[in-house]
Amino acid sequence: MAQGKTTYRVPIGPVHVGLKEPITAWLDVDGERIVQATIRPGAIHRGIEFMARDRNPIQVIYLAERVCGICSFSHITCFVRAVEDAAKIPVPRRAQYIRSLLLELERVHSHILWAGVACYTIGYDSAFHLGMQLREKVMDVLEALTGNRVNYGVGTVGGVRRDITPEVARAIRDMLDYYRNNIATFTDVVFDDPVALARMRHVGPLSPQEAMRYCALGPTARGSGLRIDLRWSAPYEAYGELDVTPIVPQDYLGKSHGDVYDRFFVRATEIHQSLDLIERCLDGLPSGELMWEPKLPKLLNYLKQADGEGIGFVEAPRGDDTHAIRLTKGAENITWWKVRAPTYSNAISWPLMFRDQELADAPLILNSVDPCISCMERVLVTDRAAEREEVLVKQDLIERCREKTRRLMRQ
Amino acid sequence: MTRKPWTSHTEESRSPEEVLAILKENLQSGLEAFELRPKKETGREEQPLIHDIWLTVRKDAFLSLVDELFLFDFPHFHVLSTDDSGDHILFVYHFSLFRCAGRGEHLGVNVRVRIPKEDLIMPSLWERIPGVEYSEREAKEALGVAFQGLPNQSLLLLPENWDTSIKPMRRDETGPREEHIRHLS
Repeated sequence: MAQGKTTYRVPIGPVHVGLKEPITAWLDVDGERIVQATIRPGAIHRGIEFMARDRNPIQVIYLAERVCGICSFSHITCFVRAVEDAAKIPVPRRAQYIRSLLLELERVHSHILWAGVACYTIGYDSAFHLGMQLREKVMDVLEALTGNRVNYGVGTVGGVRRDITPEVARAIRDMLDYYRNNIATFTDVVFDDPVALARMRHVGPLSPQEAMRYCALGPTARGSGLRIDLRWSAPYEAYGELDVTPIVPQDYLGKSHGDVYDRFFVRATEIHQSLDLIERCLDGLPSGELMWEPKLPKLLNYLKQADGEGIGFVEAPRGDDTHAIRLTKGAENITWWKVRAPTYSNAISWPLMFRDQELADAPLILNSVDPCISCMERVLVTDRAAEREEVLVKQDLIERCREKTRRLMRQ
Repeated sequence: MTRKPWTSHTEESRSPEEVLAILKENLQSGLEAFELRPKKETGREEQPLIHDIWLTVRKDAFLSLVDELFLFDFPHFHVLSTDDSGDHILFVYHFSLFRCAGRGEHLGVNVRVRIPKEDLIMPSLWERIPGVEYSEREAKEALGVAFQGLPNQSLLLLPENWDTSIKPMRRDETGPREEHIRHLS
């Protein structure tokens, strides 16, 4: 309640189709203006770390992969890096390059998907369908390389399990040509459109100081102007040989506002950066082994004798992913394992982004950090003064969001 | 030493050896163990680009350590790893320094603290680093550690109807019993 005015408490969640997984957001609204927001996660908590206590490191790879569907390889890579850190296992150079290439393919996939969904949220359906069509190409390449469109299962402790054959390399190069000819069509449709600009500029801002203090990550933090990127500050896998610079809006647009538009811009520009990195990985792919130890029983035996704590960081599409693990000598199963997916940290900044924003922008703001743990479907609007309740389903909420776009187009 | 309120990440890093030396000098006996761990990746054994420091600090020296980290850079907080180690709870705070300082300048700082089960209270870092909120709330509900100074202490991942006397990640009598676990296979 703010200074005698009546605010209504609007719960959004726990399930909504605008985003990918369940979360509840309680928004205190005064008219259309959001005064305060409280986030309540936990709807999709599966107890994965608890489950891992009964599993050995190889079995946990498949648990780690299922933490998230769209950044699954980032989680595998991060987890195996933590195990390799704890057990002091070196990774052959060819495997490092293949890992980096897959991570970049995943980033391209994730960013195109996100851009499409963001366009859908503001009512830009043609851009959404264009994005979904573009996304098919990278999924075809991922299927050619790994056998699956999501959840690849190709990482292992000490290397990778699939090689890049000449056919796959050709498919990747075809994909690069296709994207270089077609991605600009998609992104220009958004950047050149004044209504899209009006919908995204100054919406959901996060200042760089807040981004830093609330530990925001990835494009959310880069959109606010923070020059952070683990591929640059702590180059892992093949990034030691690839020169990656963090993409921040002030380098391209002169100034960064930290709003939804800037986060969109950062992700769109990162698609181009990833395409270049994929090409350089392919061109520089060294010959050699794929795994440190191809025989699984020998590897498991070695891991059983390993003792120590390890940590792995990877720059996933949403920010830096962190896995920490403890292996104990003589124990086949892992002792403890902590996963910190990037959205875990980014979600803490949501209440800041919601301040003084409009209810119609709520789905867009929630989407702008590219959440990997939330999905909104139903809004229960309680009008305490009139003592009535009204349930708005996803359609109604999205409709409000799109109605705002139509209003702006009329102006 | 007064803690500077940080308004931006530093763009000047220090070498991991320097950071470790200053921490050792300022914390003295509060620092129980330390390890400098450069990551020797294949092809980069001689010039590693990734560095981590692992420290074990006494519980009463923990806040001083965090304030020392502020002297170098705003310590970015990743996550709080936890474990029930029998007679004590182990916390490992994972921080990062020098995120904006340049290529290969990132320094991971991992801090172990042992909390005896008879005294399960830790000072919250929330005032210094608001980004710790979720990790501290999760540690509280999963292990029963109280955080002094954490404003939002509500449940994070557990449902509203959870019996809060059961701490899911504890391995002793306060942990989940057989009737709370569903075996899927």
